Amino acid sequence: MNTRILVLILLVVSALSVSIAASLLLDIPVPRGLKELAVYYVSNTIRDTGSPEAVAAIVWDYRGLDTIYETLVLYLAIVGGLAIFRVTLKTITKTPIGLTLFSKTSTKIISLLIATISAAITFHGHLTPGGGFPGGSALAVAAMLIIPVFSMYALLEKGVTSTKLVALRGFALTAIGLVALLPVVRGLEIVTNQKFYPTQILGIPVGGSISLYNIFESIAVASGFIAIALYLSIPEEAYKTGESSA
Amino acid sequence: MILPIILLITASLLSLVFVYMAVTERDLLKAVVFSAGQSISYAILLQSMSTPDIVMTYVTVSVGLYSALILFVISKTERFEGGGREH
Repeated sequence: MNTRILVLILLVVSALSVSIAASLLLDIPVPRGLKELAVYYVSNTIRDTGSPEAVAAIVWDYRGLDTIYETLVLYLAIVGGLAIFRVTLKTITKTPIGLTLFSKTSTKIISLLIATISAAITFHGHLTPGGGFPGGSALAVAAMLIIPVFSMYALLEKGVTSTKLVALRGFALTAIGLVALLPVVRGLEIVTNQKFYPTQILGIPVGGSISLYNIFESIAVASGFIAIALYLSIPEEAYKTGESSA
Repeated sequence: MILPIILLITASLLSLVFVYMAVTERDLLKAVVFSAGQSISYAILLQSMSTPDIVMTYVTVSVGLYSALILFVISKTERFEGGGREH
């Protein structure tokens, strides 16, 4: 234990001294302004894409096709995860027991807050920092809090099963594909934004297809991660006896 | 101007401490907590470099999802590294 603290102090001191020495010896220039590319994005994003958020505009418009393929990679990764844990077992339902009343009440409050923040991140993804992936994974965190505190069976009793979640994920991914493909019908390029989708609806800025992509991406990410969490929380005995409920 | 630099230095040193604690810890549950602490200090680092988009994804994935996933995995194996109790 003592050597552990000693090594730790040595590490911190050496890190500090190396960084101080590096900053004194090497005269590293500090950037004092925006680069040419950054200036282009800052001044033209709102005109090109209808979204004031440059990062969301780059992710879903300027480099939209890249992100579609990235979504495909995540899709395949989660398919792999589901394939490992895939079990065709008999359905049994147990009474959910969960933890104490204190943990349950605080988890209810916290997961409501997380879900609200997740919705804010997703629906404002084209206006403020955030977007589909952070919003969806925040929602998955709320579900991952509920599973250990209320037990998996509480979710299953409410009708949240892995099969339904995987189906929801398929629907969301199909919707992303459709949003990307629809402009082709009118002879435009794939993943076209401003020439096909409206900049605002009833005076509310929607950033063309960016808000649609964000919403469907968050549904896909959240349902995928919750399905994985449900599969991971199947008890080990279920694999041995051949009985499960997910 | 000086506050972000102080935050940068503190958070990077804190992350070093958390990484060392996580690597040398034999109780895997404590190691997950240290790993989450490292993620939080990285989030502070990213925020002080003013990249809020990255911070949002980083916090949810590395503090929330990653820790939860590792906890699920630990629940399927032994809590202590090497099989025995911590001495």
